[in-house]
Amino acid sequence: MLSFLYARQSGVDDPVRLRRAESTRRVLSLELNHNRDVDRIHGNGINTLDIEVIDGRYMLSGGSDGVIVIYDLENNSKKPQYTCKAICTVGRSSRHVHKFSVETVQWYPHDTGMFVSSSFDKTMKVWDTETLKPAEEFQFDGNVYCHHMSPVARKHSLVAVGTKDPKVQLCDLKSGSRIHILQGHRGEILSVRWSPRYDHILATASTDSRVRIWDVRRASGSLFTLDQHNGDKSKASSEAVNTAHNGRVNGLCFTADGLHLLTTGTDDRMRLWNSATGENTLVNYGKVVNESRKGLKFTVSRGCSPEFVFVPCGSAVAVYGLHSGELITMLRGHYNNVDCCEFHPDYQELYSGGKDCNILAWVPVLRQPDIEDDETNSKRGGTQAAINPAFEDAWSSDED
Amino acid sequence: MSKMDQTMRDKLSQLVEELTTSGEPQLNQDKMKEVKKLCKVSTDYVDHFYHLIMTQLNQEHAEIRLSAFQMVSEIFSRSHHFRDLLITNFQEFLELTVETDTEQPLPPPKEVARKLRTLAIQTVQSWHATYGEAYKKLSLGYHFLKQIKKVDFHDVEARTLAERKRQEEKQKRLERIYKEKLEKAKQEMEEMTTEIEETLTEINNCIKLLATDDLNLFNEEAAVSKTSAAAENIPDQPCCSKDLSNEQNGEMTEKKKDEGQTDKCSDESDTEEVPDEDAFLRSTGLMSYKYQLELNVSTDLKLRETEENEALVNTVRDLHRLITTRHLPLVQSWIQVFTKVGVEEELMRTATELKKSLEHALRKHDFLHIDYKNRERRVMRAPEDEEDDDDDFVDVPEKEGYEPHIPEHLRTEYGLDETPSTSTSGAKAKPSKPVVKHPVPRVSSSLSLLKRKMHDEEQDPTCAAATLRVLKQRLCSTPSTSLSGSSTGVTVSSSDQAGISKDEASVKAPVIPFGVDLYYWGEEQLTAGKIIKNASQHQFWVPHEVEEEVVNEELSAEMKSRYITFAGEFKPVEHKCKAPMPNGSLCERQDRVKCPFHGPIIPRDELGRPVNPEDALRLEKEKRKREEDQPDWRDPELMREIEAATGEDLGSSKLYGKGKNANKGKSKKKYPNLTDLKQNASTSRSRLEKKVFNKSSMRRVTEVMNKMDKRKHEKFSNQFNYALN
Repeated sequence: MLSFLYARQSGVDDPVRLRRAESTRRVLSLELNHNRDVDRIHGNGINTLDIEVIDGRYMLSGGSDGVIVIYDLENNSKKPQYTCKAICTVGRSSRHVHKFSVETVQWYPHDTGMFVSSSFDKTMKVWDTETLKPAEEFQFDGNVYCHHMSPVARKHSLVAVGTKDPKVQLCDLKSGSRIHILQGHRGEILSVRWSPRYDHILATASTDSRVRIWDVRRASGSLFTLDQHNGDKSKASSEAVNTAHNGRVNGLCFTADGLHLLTTGTDDRMRLWNSATGENTLVNYGKVVNESRKGLKFTVSRGCSPEFVFVPCGSAVAVYGLHSGELITMLRGHYNNVDCCEFHPDYQELYSGGKDCNILAWVPVLRQPDIEDDETNSKRGGTQAAINPAFEDAWSSDED
Repeated sequence: MSKMDQTMRDKLSQLVEELTTSGEPQLNQDKMKEVKKLCKVSTDYVDHFYHLIMTQLNQEHAEIRLSAFQMVSEIFSRSHHFRDLLITNFQEFLELTVETDTEQPLPPPKEVARKLRTLAIQTVQSWHATYGEAYKKLSLGYHFLKQIKKVDFHDVEARTLAERKRQEEKQKRLERIYKEKLEKAKQEMEEMTTEIEETLTEINNCIKLLATDDLNLFNEEAAVSKTSAAAENIPDQPCCSKDLSNEQNGEMTEKKKDEGQTDKCSDESDTEEVPDEDAFLRSTGLMSYKYQLELNVSTDLKLRETEENEALVNTVRDLHRLITTRHLPLVQSWIQVFTKVGVEEELMRTATELKKSLEHALRKHDFLHIDYKNRERRVMRAPEDEEDDDDDFVDVPEKEGYEPHIPEHLRTEYGLDETPSTSTSGAKAKPSKPVVKHPVPRVSSSLSLLKRKMHDEEQDPTCAAATLRVLKQRLCSTPSTSLSGSSTGVTVSSSDQAGISKDEASVKAPVIPFGVDLYYWGEEQLTAGKIIKNASQHQFWVPHEVEEEVVNEELSAEMKSRYITFAGEFKPVEHKCKAPMPNGSLCERQDRVKCPFHGPIIPRDELGRPVNPEDALRLEKEKRKREEDQPDWRDPELMREIEAATGEDLGSSKLYGKGKNANKGKSKKKYPNLTDLKQNASTSRSRLEKKVFNKSSMRRVTEVMNKMDKRKHEKFSNQFNYALN
């Protein structure tokens, strides 16, 4: 750390380097922390989380009882102990609440005044954060599994919606209408993701085991389909051609730079693809247990030097090295299946929600206090006192 | 791992296994101390211990899990490292001990599983209290249990959500049932209350009527017994105090008559009454010093049924039955329902009041002591009365000494005692007063009365009195017929008189049922046994050599003979088999000749040994023979095989114990202390299943069904609509 600081001071290093090193360290030391709690509002499982990118302060959560809660993540109390407060809730008593399970919530990428939620009650609602009333409501024919707004789009405000219907719908928030459909899949659309690099690139994953990459400017069809065998026909059986997984594909995630795409499937595999070419990079993550029948929300770290993937895996969150495929650690804390996790890029914190109704905050462990470090000195005060007698062994003398 | 000593590691494994498979509810403290000692040495051992324990916790046996859990709680409180390890995997731990995952229920035996869960929940709570601050995941787990799984930590039963739900459902169901019952009871009550009240008023009125009747008049018999020291000549006169006061106020003469009517049971005769009257008159005049009255008023009334109150008594009786069999149980059931459900006070009160009044009515009724016996007999007799008369005296000429109404003053002339109990005479004497008939052995008493007057008359068989005597004797043997009817029947004609001589003969002669032989007694029956054949029904033409009559010897003999079965006299068997039985006692069977279990009965001593030496010899021989030819189906090898196949004890081990035991020793259970889970499978259902679903019976059934199918096909194969299916 000192060497990094010194190098930074002397201008030898790129400024990014220190940041990367520190954030990597922090990610590696993620664990459950007593000082961080999240209010228990949901009475049922939590399906989806989203942290807004503007301030990184507010987090949305959607539960399987249709409730949507907004949390304030920022700790202004100057104390290490902090419970993320629920600042507002669209509860069951609300007139506008989703009737069934909320599958996806997402902040409007450019402003916290609006967010979009989609639910199994076949609707997608565009909410006004101030009034907590839907400004717009889209009705669909089938359950809505997922939707996504492009985080970088400036020229359009399209929401891609994946429903029970094999056609991907594009809804325009400007006009409030469904302007386009993308045909090609043969199964339910479990996940849709816009590329964080190009505002016209869209990836969709479906139960037909395929992942398609679309250019929304081109109406005729998808750009290409991800093929797990990279076009090697000899390895694939005839019906497995052009499939990304051998089961349903229920998770999609672009890396922060948009160069790579991660997919998860019910064949308990996770694959990393080159998003430009659709090539399978053949990184082996091992078995990633995945029993979800719906979409799986997983996330990728941002700003670390080797990037990490956080994938819900049973009742734990698995942390993999993105390019190495190495299982770094399992974050165990939930008592039931984990459905979603969200990475906070500014503080290197991870929030995960599961069927046990808990939202857990995984916070980096602070540096050991015995290391002389100016930067951490300020934070250290609390930890020294935190050495708990409970951590000591209590062997009684009669065992000798 | 390298740091660990291999021997100590093995020892730890062994200790864990021993402790967890002990099957006991508590851990062996010495062994546990050993474990703790080992774990204290280094965290590596704790690691090893953790893995061992988790494997044991995964065993599908509640006892193993319970023991493992106890060990966990011991170490948990001591080692931080162990706490870390366990809490990292706390979810699985909870699944295995608290049954958080409904798809992974705790393994049997149930009792131990319940205990394990209770213990686990309590322990988690105490852990949370102690370490919840330090271990985030522990407190998360605690909250998970508390809020998601709805474990009530204060509930001593430590019931889980599912359990509580079941309980609630049961409660709900019970409530629903109670509610239905309540509704029903309410409805019933609405319908029945008026009826019950009617019944109540009816019976109350009846009882009132009966009781007042009885108070005013004579039915309160034996209420007063009067003992007079001075007035010896006055016989005991049962009369009630009221009567007495009435009598004192009223006319003396009247009173005399009253007494004449009321004292039915007194043995007074008319002849004796005459001097009494005088004495009584006199004594009443001097009552003030001559009488010493001792009033013995018995509280219970005794009511006898008479013709006058018959209707009342009948009603009372019916009502009583109605109340006891119908209303009272009904009301009681209502009250039961009401108390169970907890109903508004009003209903409850009405119900209890109804019950009270019903019971009160019953008590009153019991108080009356109504004598139904009398009436019941009457009922039986009433229709028979005339018939009996007809039967007995049908051959009696209508008019010859028979008079349905004999005037009182003429009765002695007719050879009749004065029967004051006859309703006719009673009515005549005092029509204002209803007369009660007492079921007194009146005939016999009247006989004694008559004795003096009629003695000579009786000697003369032509006299009516003689016949009367015979009849009375007969009646005495059947005292149940001694009622007013009999007194009228007593007046019989004098012509019926053969009685006495017949009586004497009939004492000796055997009584046999009437038969054909008696019908033809002493007659020569020519036609007996002859069968007339009417072979030809033709008018003119008759076949010539047809024998018209066939004598059947058998038939004719039958006409004249009678079979009398001589059964002999029954002699109870007094000896017992007394053969020694395997349980040490002697056979208690009392067969006459042969015991079905121990052969012919022979004399034996107290120990069951045969008394006669030849018997003993014979028995010995038989026994040896029996042992020798063991039936070949009991071949030991075969038996053992069958036993192994069926799992049933055919007794081969008993017979050939040594060979079997050697086999058994090998198949000893691995953990003898644990409850055998497979043993529990021996329920009635499983046994039945074994029978019903065994291969041979299934095959048999399918064969039969196939055969039936085939038969149908064969039968109807030529018909297209059957041929297809």
